[in-house]
Amino acid sequence: MSVVLEVSGLSKVYGDVTALDRVSLSVEEGSLFGLLGPNGSGKTTMIKVLTGQIRPTGGSAMVLGLDSEHEGLRIRERVGIIPEQESPPSFLTSMEYLEFVGAVRKIPDIRERADEWFDYLEFGDKKNVLCKDLSRGTRQKLMFAQAFIHEPALALIDEPLINFDPIMQDLVKDYLKDYVKSGKTIFLSTHILEVAEEICSSFAVLHRGRLLHSGPVADLAEKGVHLSGFFLSLVRKGGHA
Amino acid sequence: MPELFMRMMKEEWRMHSTIFGHVSFALFPFMIFGISFMGSFLLPHLRQALPVGDMALATHVMFLVLGAMVGGFGLMGNEMMNRRFGQASLLAYSARSLPLSGKFIFANFVVKDTVYYFFLWVLPFGAGYIAAAPFTGAPFSSALLLLFTLALAFMAGLCTVFLLSSVYVRSRAVCGVMVIAGGFLLLVSFLSTGPTLALLFPPYMLYSGFSWGMLLLSCAILAAMFALSILLFSPDETGTTRVHGDLYRPLVKRGTFLQQSPLVAKDLIDLYRSGIGIGQALFSFAIPLVVIWFFLSLAGSFLPPHGLILLFAMISGVIGSTMYTWVTEFDSFGPYACLPVSVSTLIQSKITTCALLQVLPASFIAITAVLSGNSADLIPAVALCVSFSFYASGVMAYLCGLSPSVLVYDVKVLFTYLVFDGAVFAIFSAVSLAHPLYAISSVLLFFPGWLFVKAAMRRWDAVDPAGL
Repeated sequence: MSVVLEVSGLSKVYGDVTALDRVSLSVEEGSLFGLLGPNGSGKTTMIKVLTGQIRPTGGSAMVLGLDSEHEGLRIRERVGIIPEQESPPSFLTSMEYLEFVGAVRKIPDIRERADEWFDYLEFGDKKNVLCKDLSRGTRQKLMFAQAFIHEPALALIDEPLINFDPIMQDLVKDYLKDYVKSGKTIFLSTHILEVAEEICSSFAVLHRGRLLHSGPVADLAEKGVHLSGFFLSLVRKGGHA
Repeated sequence: MPELFMRMMKEEWRMHSTIFGHVSFALFPFMIFGISFMGSFLLPHLRQALPVGDMALATHVMFLVLGAMVGGFGLMGNEMMNRRFGQASLLAYSARSLPLSGKFIFANFVVKDTVYYFFLWVLPFGAGYIAAAPFTGAPFSSALLLLFTLALAFMAGLCTVFLLSSVYVRSRAVCGVMVIAGGFLLLVSFLSTGPTLALLFPPYMLYSGFSWGMLLLSCAILAAMFALSILLFSPDETGTTRVHGDLYRPLVKRGTFLQQSPLVAKDLIDLYRSGIGIGQALFSFAIPLVVIWFFLSLAGSFLPPHGLILLFAMISGVIGSTMYTWVTEFDSFGPYACLPVSVSTLIQSKITTCALLQVLPASFIAITAVLSGNSADLIPAVALCVSFSFYASGVMAYLCGLSPSVLVYDVKVLFTYLVFDGAVFAIFSAVSLAHPLYAISSVLLFFPGWLFVKAAMRRWDAVDPAGL
């Protein structure tokens, strides 16, 4: 398996706050990698650096063979991203937003693909409703669709399940599992440990900007350890370090 | 009321100081004070060209327009906050979560805007004039009265916008009729009697000749407008989900000749569907320009025959350039961060949208030239207006990137903007006044304007886009 994402000694400092502190990790092609951490641990900053939205203070990150500091635009052409807090533009309808994404990404059959996503995520009745009038859950469906509509080799998704009801969560988890089976890679940032334990093949734990652990989920299962217990003990120890 | 009012004041201060930095924003009133103080020493020279009464009238109108613009800006506060900070909200919208009526909150909001901007703009300006009075020989009582009447003029602008916005929410048609009727009345009055109607502006009349009766009348008019705004106020309906036809695809198809048509189409839809396009066109463009034309014409007798329309064309160009703030109003870089779009691409698309919108100032100036009997100067006037607008937009993009409407209060940015625009304004005023055809040379401004846009793209690409 080749490495699609390689991070070496990555740091990001905002004023007095060190959001990422010399983090190193790698993600293999075809894996569903979970970046876990409590609120404020640096997960969102990590995704922003990896996709070239912000520049690192130190270290480097290669994504699909591209340097995130200097080739952010090319990375964003090739990956799919679900940002944690961003909503789709207020005054476009759901369909218009996906058409907008298609126009920017130069996807020729965008309407057909959009219709498939409206059907799959069951929100076809909202395709002509303005994004500002959508519920949080429906906005999240739309953001999910825009991230995968061009079938990227790598998707970096930040808390993708947070506004979904249990039925939709189930559907999306199945989609993610099938997606990686097709050889593509997912970099998932979350603090919902049950989800990570259920669908991730490998994971890393970030706390206060520092990497506390990185490895396959299967290793824990072999030791009879639950991810949630492992995570809590690690973070509590890390918190006192 | 006092608690909500005080919290709204703090909120406004924190919003501004967070954006511009505490020191930079705190310096803003001092800059206004300095400009006013030093400007006062120019008055004896200006009096040789412009009568005192006309200068006073122009200053009152300036504050009337300022009040109108502040009011328009205040009504878009929540959009601004969301744009700048992501999901955010202002106390003005707390009727959704607190047991407070929309009318009560709106009343506090109007009072807060009046008091806050009085301290930010009006008081420093008046204080500068008062401080200079011992040196310029202006009577102290007259300087004090000016501060008071300027405050009234400012409140008149503010209350007019709040009243129109209250009417607008209830009925766009009625609001449109009111604006058109008001504009028509001003035009007819001007064409038949000249600027006589302007002299009846109560704050100006109060300044020209103080009387208790006029004071009462001025305050009564303001109180009536304020009360009507509150009475008519009706918060936007929530929970309605209208269905909309697809505008995006046809727009992109029509704009394929544009380099950034997918982004330009989105901007145009934002302006149209949000109502901001119409609102801004009225409150930040048409109304201020009608008022400026009205009062600029007071100086008509001191200018060559073509002078008035060409000066007005330049002012229209500067105001037309603020359309760059309209198109950057809705989104920060955040929503684009998940797409392969760079900051420079966004700046380029916003400038393109702004350029398309120039059809509005160009038409406006053409119509004004024809209606005012200056048809012969139509082409130089349109050239001046459009060239100025492009140049000033370029300067704005360079100085502010994607955040022009929030960086305007940064002292350094505003000062630099005024220097860049002021120098060009002075040069082309002289050139245009010399001969109307010389004004066509203003198309040369497209070149530095284009250079500013290119420099803006380089400059803002080098900044971390998160938070822009």
